[in-house]
Formats: sequence, structure tokens, C-alpha cells
Amino acid sequence: MKPPPDDALDRELMAAVGRGDGRAFARLVGRHYGWALGFTDRMLGARHEAEDLVQTAFLRVWQGAAHWEPGARFSTWLYRVLYNLCVDQFRARNTAAGVPLDGDLAEALADEAPGSEERVSDMQRGARVRMALAALPARQRAALVLCYYEELSQVEAAALLGVSEGALESLLSRGRATLRKWLRDDLQ
Amino acid sequence: MDLNRFKACSAAYGADRRRWPAREHPLYDRFAGTSEGVAILAEAERTDRFLDALETAAPDLRRVGRIAAIARPAWYRLAKPAATLAASAVLGFAVGFAQARSAADTDIAARLLLGPQSLQEIGL
Repeated sequence: MKPPPDDALDRELMAAVGRGDGRAFARLVGRHYGWALGFTDRMLGARHEAEDLVQTAFLRVWQGAAHWEPGARFSTWLYRVLYNLCVDQFRARNTAAGVPLDGDLAEALADEAPGSEERVSDMQRGARVRMALAALPARQRAALVLCYYEELSQVEAAALLGVSEGALESLLSRGRATLRKWLRDDLQ
Repeated sequence: MDLNRFKACSAAYGADRRRWPAREHPLYDRFAGTSEGVAILAEAERTDRFLDALETAAPDLRRVGRIAAIARPAWYRLAKPAATLAASAVLGFAVGFAQARSAADTDIAARLLLGPQSLQEIGL
């Protein structure tokens, strides 16, 4: 799910929210909750944490709307709020560098790999991708989520992460290479 | 040299041309149909397919409602439980009163059926 395209409407809604309009806030939440949750869920790899975090982000929207200055698109601003909250969450978990894929986790991923005559269900495969993504270093994971799943342009994703486009490409390459290594049995 | 760049792009952006930077599209178009290009893209596509397996569940609408409720004024949020409590009290009183009336009516009917000793006994 991607952010809705009509940024002019978002600006109008934010202006109304800044004046304390609860209906405008409800409409803004309705327009953006789905993609915000999808992004955060992929970033954190934990649904309940993602729901709590998105709620916190919208609370910030409500509290900060009066001072919001429409420089960038509303969705770009919300991506930044969500990303920063995710980084805080990683710090709280003390896994800013990602969960190291040590012997145990690598073994778990390998053990669950399907045999040549056996096909793993989409759900199992999805769970394995989730586990592997969550184990990537935070910036590699963010680069992959933003560029692959959210389909942000390289310029947008690089700006959001505060890196150059070249550095973004490097994050993407390393992230995909690590995934390939961990999930090589699935990729056969 | 260009093929190396093609390989580097496919390693970073995958097999789908739409995910490549626009400035690299000519490079994609140049190599995508060649035998080396096809092999490189096939490798990248396996990773893409794997990434595609990750889906997220649909949002919980109750959550959306709870977040939208953040914007309700404080008096409303405080008044709602108080109003619910008051409504419960009124309803409880009304039900209790109706049951009491009903019990009294039943008592009167029973006495009429069983034969009251006097009209005074049933309060008439």
C-alpha cells in the first residue's frame, strides 16, 4: 500500500487539524494509516510494536499540526517521523545494527528451507523473509523497505535516510547480497 | 565496463526496470536482452520473488478508530464513560421498577385466581 497521491488534500487537512478539527484528523488517519502500518511493520518485523508506533506517530501529527510547515509532501514528512520512531525503537531494543545472524538464526533459516520436492507455503516463506529482513542492519533494511516495498525514488529514499544516492545503492546491494546468502536454499 | 555497471544496478535494484534510477534505463535496455543480461536479471529476479513473499496483514479498523479518537476533546473523552455510567444507572432503575410492578401485578392476579378472602386484601 502506498501513500495517496493527493498532497494538496493532505495540506488542507493538516491546516484544518492545526485548527483543532477532529474530523480532518480522522480523515487524515484514514488516508494514511494503511501504508504507515505496512512500512512500520516491515521495518520492525513485529506487528503489535508497529501498531503502537504508528499510533504514536499520529499523536505527534495531532500535537504538532499547528506548527507544521508544508515544505515537503505530508507523506514524506510522515515517513520521516515513522523512520525516526523505528530507529528509536531499535535503540530501545539495543539492536541498531540489526540482529546479528549468528549460527543459531542462520541454522534456523536453513532448517526451514524446503527440500527439492517440497514447496514451502507463501505464508512460511513470508515469515522467513520477515525474519531475515529483521536481522539486517537497520539502514540496509530501511533502504530495502523504502526502495523495494514502498517504491520511493532513489532521491526520496536517500533524502529520508540522510545519505547520498551512491550510499543508498551500496546499502541496497549489501542488503540484497546478505539476504541471498541467508536464503540461498529458498532461492534455488 | 558497462556490463559491470549493469550487474551493480541489478544487484541493488533488482530485475524490474521500474525500480532502477531513470538515468540507468538506457543501460537496462541495452543489456536486458543479451545473454549475459538475461542471466544477471534472472539472478536478481529470484531475490525479487523472495522479497515479494512478505505481505502485511490488513489494518485493524478498531485501531484506526482509536487513533482518530485522539482528536476528540477532553470533555468528550471524560463525559463518555460518565454518560455510560449514568445511562446504566437509569436503565437499571427502570428495569428494577418494571420488574417490581410486574411482580406486584402477578401477585394480584394470583390472588384473584386463587380466590382472595376480601377485596381489601388485594387493595381494591
